[in-house]
Amino acid sequence: MAHPSQLGFQDAASPVMEELLHFHDHALMIVFMISTLVLYIIIAMVTTDLTNKYILDSQEIEVIWTVLPGLILILIALPSLRILYLMDEINDPHLTIKAMGHQWYWSYEYTDYEELGFDSYMIPTQDLSPGQFRLLETDHRMVVPSESPVRVLVSAEDVLHSWAVPALGVKMDAVPGRLNQTAFVASRSGVYYGQCSEICGANHSFMPIVVEAVPLEHFENWSSLMLEDA
Amino acid sequence: MLATRALRLVGKRAISTSVCVRGGHGVAKVEQYTLPAYFDRRENPLPDICYVQSLSPEQQSLKEKEKGSWAALSNEEKIALYRISFHQSFAEMKQGSAEWKSVVAGMFFLIGFTGLVVLWQRKFVYGPVPHTFEKEYKEKELQRMLDMRINPVEGFSAKWDYENKQWKK
Repeated sequence: MAHPSQLGFQDAASPVMEELLHFHDHALMIVFMISTLVLYIIIAMVTTDLTNKYILDSQEIEVIWTVLPGLILILIALPSLRILYLMDEINDPHLTIKAMGHQWYWSYEYTDYEELGFDSYMIPTQDLSPGQFRLLETDHRMVVPSESPVRVLVSAEDVLHSWAVPALGVKMDAVPGRLNQTAFVASRSGVYYGQCSEICGANHSFMPIVVEAVPLEHFENWSSLMLEDA
Repeated sequence: MLATRALRLVGKRAISTSVCVRGGHGVAKVEQYTLPAYFDRRENPLPDICYVQSLSPEQQSLKEKEKGSWAALSNEEKIALYRISFHQSFAEMKQGSAEWKSVVAGMFFLIGFTGLVVLWQRKFVYGPVPHTFEKEYKEKELQRMLDMRINPVEGFSAKWDYENKQWKK
């Protein structure tokens, strides 16, 4: 989750998110340089005492300010496409989970081996235990084994929703009647929060997502317990 | 050759036209904006016409004197001739106004007024904030975030010294 008044990204919990962080740094640096240049030019134009300001044409500068932005765009596009294709690689997941969006909660189905399914409702503010995070905690978390590729099939039972966990670099729209696939690898154990990212009605802001990445044997213990309880 | 003569013709008509005869349809009305105008612009220092179009008798005699040697003109006469041709000098054109002071004052006033509106809203419109904003609750939240190792790489928990139980210097 983000700490109060955080401006930047959360620390990456998956390799894809690391790539996205570095790409963002790269693109932002280019953007800062261009903005600084433009701001400087604006200020120079406004504060000059020179009066010959209306040059009508010049081939050299036209070539420069056509070719240079093209090069800058290529410089941005190449890493961007690299990450795009990286995200789509064949990854052979160890586990497949179905995340179904409802109004206004998520339900998760682990049906690879047994039939495990449960709903994940937000804990209302007045029911929070001391120290729990308001509007982020849920009664049941989606537990996954850490360092294992996980495939998530996202869909919805009623209206559009979107399953997003920023720390894992994952966001996938939940469309009724459609299965969208996304995948991630949780590089480290931890708890990762996200919120529904497609407007879906009155409680759209109150259906969060919590992913808990734990070592494999803890995951196995958890799934056995959940099956017993069901 | 032909081009310059044609252009000169067009130029003369463009500047001194007071009657515009169009293709057999009679005389078109001459619009104000088509006539040469005077303007003070830094980047266009020599406007098309003089500032003073109708000269008073003193100005007319001054113009006659100008046809002679310029060394015979006194400073005041030179300045008077300048003021016939131009409205503002470059220094007058470039000088700023004190308008920025009223702009900044207005800006501060409106920001302050907005602040008052916000305070009023907080007191009379909005209900109480959730109990999660209380100091003790925030401390427990903070401790839980550190225990859960939220953002341990470069972010939140990375700045906490777990051995000495304090923020890293």
